[in-house]
Amino acid sequence: MSAPLHRRWLAVAGATAAFALIAAGCTSNTPEADDTAAAVAPAAAGSNDEPGDKVTIAFSGPAADHGWLGAINSAAKAEAEKYSDVDFVMAEGTNDVSVQISQIEQFINDGVDAIVLLPSDGAALTEVATKAMNAGIPVVNVDREFSDPNAARTTVLGDNYGMGVSAGEYICEQLGGTAGAKVAEIAGVDSLPLTQDRSRGFKDALTKCGLKVDARVAAGFTVETGEEAASELLQANPKLDAIWNHDDDQGIGVLAAIDAAGRDEFFMVGGAGSKNAMDAIKADDTVLKATVIYPSTQGADGVKLARLLAQNKGMSDLVDAAVPRTVQLYAPIVTKENVDEYLPIGFAS
Amino acid sequence: MSEQTTPGAAVPGRSVTELAGDVPVHADRPAQAPRRGLLHGPAGRNLGLVIALLAICIFGVATAGERFASPENALTILRLASVTGVVSIGMTFVIIGAGIDLSVGSVIGLASVWASTLATQTMAQDLNWGVMVVTALAVGLCAGLVNGVLIAYGKVVAFIATLAMMVAARGLAEIIAQRKTQVVSVQGFLDFFRGDLIGIPTLVWIFVLVSVAGWILLNRTTFGRRTIAVGGNPEAARLAGIKVKRHTMYLYALSGLGAGIGGVMMLGRTTAGSSTNGLFLELDVIAAVVVGGTLLVGGRGTIVGTVLGVLIFTTLSNVFTQNNLSSSAQAVAKGVIIVVAVMLQQRIAGRTPAKT
Amino acid sequence: MVSADPTKAPPVLLQMRGIVKQFPGARALDGVDLEIRAGEVHCLLGQNGAGKSTLIKVLAGAHQPDEGEILVDGTAVTIPHPVAGLKLGIATMYQELDVVDGLSVAENIYLGHELAVGGFSQRRAATAHTRAILKRLGHGDISPHREVGQLSAAGKQIVSMARALSHDARVIVMDEPSAVLDSEEVANLFRVVHELTSSGVAIVYISHRLDEIRQIGDRITVLKDGRTVATNLAVAQTPTADLIRLMTGRDVEYAIPPRPPVPDDAPTLLHVDGLGLAGSFSDVSFDVRAGEVVGLAGLVGSGRTEILETIFGARKRTAGTVSVGGETLRPGSVSGAVKAGIGLSPEERKSQGLILDEPVYRNITLSTFTRTANASFLDEAAERRVAKEQIDALDVRPSDPARAARTLSGGNQQKVLLARWLVHGCRVLLLDEPTRGVDVGARSEIYALIANLAKGGAAVVVVSSEIAEVIGLSDRILVVSEGRVVHDGPATSIDEHRVLDLVMEGSAA
Repeated sequence: MSAPLHRRWLAVAGATAAFALIAAGCTSNTPEADDTAAAVAPAAAGSNDEPGDKVTIAFSGPAADHGWLGAINSAAKAEAEKYSDVDFVMAEGTNDVSVQISQIEQFINDGVDAIVLLPSDGAALTEVATKAMNAGIPVVNVDREFSDPNAARTTVLGDNYGMGVSAGEYICEQLGGTAGAKVAEIAGVDSLPLTQDRSRGFKDALTKCGLKVDARVAAGFTVETGEEAASELLQANPKLDAIWNHDDDQGIGVLAAIDAAGRDEFFMVGGAGSKNAMDAIKADDTVLKATVIYPSTQGADGVKLARLLAQNKGMSDLVDAAVPRTVQLYAPIVTKENVDEYLPIGFAS
Repeated sequence: MSEQTTPGAAVPGRSVTELAGDVPVHADRPAQAPRRGLLHGPAGRNLGLVIALLAICIFGVATAGERFASPENALTILRLASVTGVVSIGMTFVIIGAGIDLSVGSVIGLASVWASTLATQTMAQDLNWGVMVVTALAVGLCAGLVNGVLIAYGKVVAFIATLAMMVAARGLAEIIAQRKTQVVSVQGFLDFFRGDLIGIPTLVWIFVLVSVAGWILLNRTTFGRRTIAVGGNPEAARLAGIKVKRHTMYLYALSGLGAGIGGVMMLGRTTAGSSTNGLFLELDVIAAVVVGGTLLVGGRGTIVGTVLGVLIFTTLSNVFTQNNLSSSAQAVAKGVIIVVAVMLQQRIAGRTPAKT
Repeated sequence: MVSADPTKAPPVLLQMRGIVKQFPGARALDGVDLEIRAGEVHCLLGQNGAGKSTLIKVLAGAHQPDEGEILVDGTAVTIPHPVAGLKLGIATMYQELDVVDGLSVAENIYLGHELAVGGFSQRRAATAHTRAILKRLGHGDISPHREVGQLSAAGKQIVSMARALSHDARVIVMDEPSAVLDSEEVANLFRVVHELTSSGVAIVYISHRLDEIRQIGDRITVLKDGRTVATNLAVAQTPTADLIRLMTGRDVEYAIPPRPPVPDDAPTLLHVDGLGLAGSFSDVSFDVRAGEVVGLAGLVGSGRTEILETIFGARKRTAGTVSVGGETLRPGSVSGAVKAGIGLSPEERKSQGLILDEPVYRNITLSTFTRTANASFLDEAAERRVAKEQIDALDVRPSDPARAARTLSGGNQQKVLLARWLVHGCRVLLLDEPTRGVDVGARSEIYALIANLAKGGAAVVVVSSEIAEVIGLSDRILVVSEGRVVHDGPATSIDEHRVLDLVMEGSAA
């Protein structure tokens, strides 16, 4: 904190020196506002990380009751702290839609410069997001989409459908057209659209190589439910060739169940990309052979984009002068071969 | 007094003296004594549950055949039932004692988290894996004692006191675990709780032992008798010299201890301590106890019924998975079973659970 | 009074003929005949289980008869549900008063037939009507807005009665209305009953107390084992002995057995000194010797029940001491009192004394199962054995120890409670209303039991609302009024009137 503070003081001092004797109208209430002097030039390549207008970015997301969500929050926070020109306001995580709506309303009243919103329920928060947009506050929608695209200036999405496709393609590749190979799926919370997207992608990819989902159970993104669902699944299917488990957090329980059942005739693909899972893939001593990344950096990306939006900048690697409407992140597959590359972004479950 | 009839005239053909003679002394006959029979005692209520369980099993065999009927599947069902089962035994005592404990699910989470912190695991590595077990049991017992003291001596309604504990224990678990999943790496612990004895998983043995101990405690000891008395009529129990408050406190401590054991078992089952362990488990537990024939108003209930109640739900879930049916359909079936089972019990028992 | 001349007799309002009601396993009513005339008080007599409760439920429409007919004003009617009964002008005041504590007096009275226009309740009209009805009952002092839960038992009864009148009832069935009242309130009840009958309303009056029936009854119908064994007996001309014989099927001395005087050298077992309970009673001192029966007489609310409960530790005393055999008891400790050998048979047998769904033997051993247990493991065989001994000794019927306590009659439930303390070997017995809800036959047995207990060396303290009963049972009488003992003397030197005088004086003071 000391370096940016120091810089700020310099700017304040300079500004004060320059304008001290001029009209009172120029002296803003907040000395930070005078920072404008430091960066007035339009966005240019490479200059995006330079301190710009002082902006307040607000963040609201679900309760971090899951390793991936915890990683989202901490990455967003860490990203914001990198910028001296960002005042980061983080609301307490909640799974209560009405609480989250009131958080956004509070942000609007406070007149923040941009809002990064990972809705606990996309549809339910669409209205309040629209309200923020109408109030002139750009909203960056992260991970779970609003029902109306106009409720957000920019949407940062993981690729849930793509995750399913990646997992499916990997399994197709490994089974290499084994006739009658049995594939099982352990989904997460079944009622979430993201789960449905993942399952759809998985099914579509399998269909292409002539496989299908022979057994499917749904867990609840927790260790306990993962163990329970997997126990039942294994019992109901005496022989399997491959399993895709949507989520590495519940994967701890899934692996415990596989271990308890003493089964190893199949291989498993994980999802989300936790550090635990990557360690296991690297060690190569369990049935877990791969996992599909669902980036936990989405929140951080959201914060970064919100800053650019608030400061009227574009993305420096694009020619377009403005931030794109939608950014969809890639869902790569991590195997023993490339695990080292991804270990640093693996989240602690 | 012309309309005064003679006593005998009211009952044609019989005289008063006859009436007086044929009834030996004053037969103080109870009004409408409920008929007793095989189906009307606790055994009858359990019979209904056995029939329900058999019906689910028959459905399972019919739809999944060998896969369902295999011994391995039976063990899977029992293993999955074990945590809920152990906690349900403790809950049975609380409910027979006319209370309720909503905190058991959260206490499982807290106990499992506390027993798997880095500090506890390090100590367990250095000394003995029993450290983790003792930690979880102590956490459960303490949480139960807090409930008990609040309810018995603080005069807080059980529903509220344990609701508060449900929220607070879950929160404390989140703070301790920092919302992370704590993987258990103490090999001795894992070997024991994930192992088996003569082909039967340790977890199932624990379930069996706790059930038998619970049955003995309820039916063969003074503790059990006090529980029934306190739940059946707390005022009568008090005026008979039973220390009702102290006993009430013990009941919640027992339930907390059950949740502590459940926490240990959960650690064994999932190999990880997480603040999400035991989430919503209290609902499954209460449903199993109630379906098992324990009256929510207290005073009546059986351990066998509770065990059957737990098995019914677990078997149902197994049958659904065997048939690759969705968890949503399963939830609907569970709801139907709860209502149907309770209604059937009332029919079989021949009376509605009147509040006494 | 019913006229001896049939042509001048008031019109018959209601008739029941050959009513039969079958329950699974029991024929509750097996041919009941009943005839009610306008303006009479028709008393229904019978032991517990004789079918009185079932009969009034049939009359109210709560049960449907399997056979027989009901005629109102000479026309056969069916009463398919309670509302139909009310429409026909038949209202019932159940023993367990069916008032809602959380509602006001007026709301209770118009419960189920609220005065409303287009869904909006007419509160003002209801209040006015309520006030009028209460005034007719001589209770203009009760505010229609008062919450019923705050009223005394007598007040609730008035509300229940007012509800009956709000339906323009012509026949009001009263099931043991005096059970919860003290003598003053009973007198008031009788006054109300007189007013009602003089305006042509007929009362069906159920009571165990023969003296009450003598006081207000006109005609009597006796039920036994679900049958009418005698009907339309004129109260004034039927001797008590006949009634008892009709009810029980045998001759019973409705009397208290004489006891020898307490020997002078009998040791003091219970010593109460300066006992007080803040807000209830103060400065109560008395001794009870082995073999002695001490009676506490007083109105409901005088503090007599509280005195017993405080001695027992069920309430925590705020002044004075209680000692048993020289050993001082810890305040507020029931278990300590029980250990010292005190037993309390509480006023409300069902809610305070018994675990109704548990078997009789476990109710008997409720204070002793720990003693028969081996290292916390129950010995149920031993429990059954000691319970069976008491069941036989006290003649509890039915004698099956495994039967649920709920199924026993009031008298037998009382015996179960006494048996509990006998098994425990109590030296001091505190009996609160030991004969409430107990029928005539069983009553004599309870009296004999109390006498036997005293003979066996127990110290007994009895509380009863029936003054004659307390005097008859006791060696010494303490009269309690407003939380103070206003008289303490031998039972032989006091009579009912004197006790009443003392009670009234005490209340006036």
